[in-house]
Amino acid sequence: MKKRSLRSATATQTFLWGWALILPTIVGLTVLNIIPLITTISQSFHKTGDFGRGNIFIGLKNYQKLFSDQAVLQSIINTLKYTIVQVPFSVFIALVLAVMLNREIKGRGAYRTIFFLPMVVAPAAIAMVWRWLYNTEFGLINNLFNLKISWISDPAIAVYSIAIIGIWSDIGYNMILFLAGLQEVPRDYYEAADLDGASIFQSFRHITVPMISPILFFVIVTRMIAAMQVFDTIFMVMEQRSNPAMYKTQSLVYLFYQSSFVERDFGYGSTIVVVLLVLIMAITAIQIIAQKKWVHYN
Amino acid sequence: MKKRILSLLLVALFVSALLFASGDAEKAKAASASKPLSVMIWDSNQEPGIRKIIDDFTAKTGITAEIQVVDWNNYWTLLSAGAQGGSLPDVFWMHSNESQRYMSNDLLLDVTDRIAKSAIIDPENYPEDIWSLYTYNKKYYAVPKDVDTIALWYNRALFDQAGVAYPTDDWTWEDLYAAAKKITRADGSVYGFANVNSNNQAGWYNLIYGNNGYVLSEDKKKSGMDLPATIEAMQWMEKMINENLMPPQAVMTESSEDVLLQSGKIAMTMQGSWMLPAFRDNEYTLKNCDIAMLPKNSKTGRRPSIYNGLGWAIAKNSPRTDDAWKLVEYFGSEEGQLKQAQLGITMSAYKNTSEQWKNSVPQFNLQAYLNMQDDMVIRPFSRNTVKWENAVLDVMLKVWNKEMTMEAGCKEAARQMNAILAEE
Repeated sequence: MKKRSLRSATATQTFLWGWALILPTIVGLTVLNIIPLITTISQSFHKTGDFGRGNIFIGLKNYQKLFSDQAVLQSIINTLKYTIVQVPFSVFIALVLAVMLNREIKGRGAYRTIFFLPMVVAPAAIAMVWRWLYNTEFGLINNLFNLKISWISDPAIAVYSIAIIGIWSDIGYNMILFLAGLQEVPRDYYEAADLDGASIFQSFRHITVPMISPILFFVIVTRMIAAMQVFDTIFMVMEQRSNPAMYKTQSLVYLFYQSSFVERDFGYGSTIVVVLLVLIMAITAIQIIAQKKWVHYN
Repeated sequence: MKKRILSLLLVALFVSALLFASGDAEKAKAASASKPLSVMIWDSNQEPGIRKIIDDFTAKTGITAEIQVVDWNNYWTLLSAGAQGGSLPDVFWMHSNESQRYMSNDLLLDVTDRIAKSAIIDPENYPEDIWSLYTYNKKYYAVPKDVDTIALWYNRALFDQAGVAYPTDDWTWEDLYAAAKKITRADGSVYGFANVNSNNQAGWYNLIYGNNGYVLSEDKKKSGMDLPATIEAMQWMEKMINENLMPPQAVMTESSEDVLLQSGKIAMTMQGSWMLPAFRDNEYTLKNCDIAMLPKNSKTGRRPSIYNGLGWAIAKNSPRTDDAWKLVEYFGSEEGQLKQAQLGITMSAYKNTSEQWKNSVPQFNLQAYLNMQDDMVIRPFSRNTVKWENAVLDVMLKVWNKEMTMEAGCKEAARQMNAILAEE
């Protein structure tokens, strides 16, 4: 009898402590993520009034408008284009760099720092510098190579120019994650492969990639989600209302910003974001199913 | 062990409670005395001058104020978020594009009675049009800050190199076209003129009204973008675009007109009087550039200047409306307005202060801006100006980028604008 009550007392204690310790996170999540999520979904069924007052319920009208809106379709295409370029390149280059910097070479620390630097710099500063690099008239790139390319105002290439900024910014971060993963790979595997006469590429393909596949999977999933939400570089590098490439470059989040914060149509803006949410969830779900084929957890 | 953790937690709780409580008390005290008023503006060029005026105000009254500059695009995002969350700055600039929405939602302090009681603000001393921008249901919601006019900036060096005579006050738009054609170089190193699609007030709006067209009807219900007079006026611009007398749209979006003028890339551009500090503080423009009146329309003989004026507004829920009013009253007073003109910040709204402004930078012919005041048209606005303005600019972007003819563009712009106006 005494024993049982003691155990239940401990259980209650553990229970209380458990909750006490996760409470800050739960509160944060609720206030910053869950409540806004619910508000956003509910707003997408409303015609919102000025300054959040006088919302009128209009059912699915926002969604009807959305599915016949050319700009939304175009921005989905733009977002996918960006993601398809930005994610593979930033992951692949980072992986190669990580493998190279995992070996004993001179100035390893310096190289690692240099590649990680873009992560430390404020995004606004990055955007300002790239804006000038890309400038058609006075930009460094065009002047150095004597070109006349409108990197960020030509509808055919602007989205890729933006993706290059994204690749450059993300390489360092991805590389650090891969480096951490590479520490886990035992050296004997490579030695054994070496003895068997495997080339560098073969051991990369058959040892490195499978061994760090859990990290690789994590990086691809999180980078994909981040890429689908691209906004800041577009917003800061390209001029609103006058850039002829904007229509073929603007992402879903950019369109959401325009609707919600420039035209103050929060209802329609929320609808756009809900579509983005569904899109990201679908892509992530597919990845989680597909990972069973290629990710090896030891 | 457990006890120690518990007691530690308790101590932490008490300490934080004490800290927060005392913090609150301090806040309440500070709000009444030493905490500066928050002032928000969008033009960093004007900031140093406005700061000087505030310093004078502080010396007089002991009330301090802090300026926050947020660029035009983010200004309205921040302001509307502040309005929704109940945390607007105490004092801020209002613009005709947005004033109707803010006034009708009761976010601005009604200053009608304060103006009536004030010894130094008399509505008679400011242009009636500017008051109309900040009047709702016959109540005043802001005090006029400035007025602006538009004039033609030109680069003397580029005119000299091409052997073309400088613009005069008798110029017509055909003269501008001819000069631009002579100055423009085939290799694209120099262009005669620049007006980016998104520069409407200081740019192509002036052409439309000069040809007796309009953008928005008097009753604010119909677009005038598809009027024959409007289209005819805009076809002059189409000529400039198609004959490549202006830099390509890609260049104008990446480097704004003022940057292009400052770097000797263009010979002429239309700019508002508020741009004076930027050109004054740039060595190249101070040395090489000057100002002329806008060209006349040869058919109508008109030379209107689309003008606008900002207002100093106070947040209705500001905890210190009395202090905020003192500051706004000072900005609007003859003294404050004269200072604004003398410091070359902008032309002031107060009557007969523009002479002071004219003398602020002797290197430029600022008289041209003053002369433009003879035919002034207020910048078109309605309740939801931003929405139709953006729609029109987006269509014009296609014309500027040569994807659409001007006639088709004007008609499409009118169609979209009418649809938006119908919802207002």
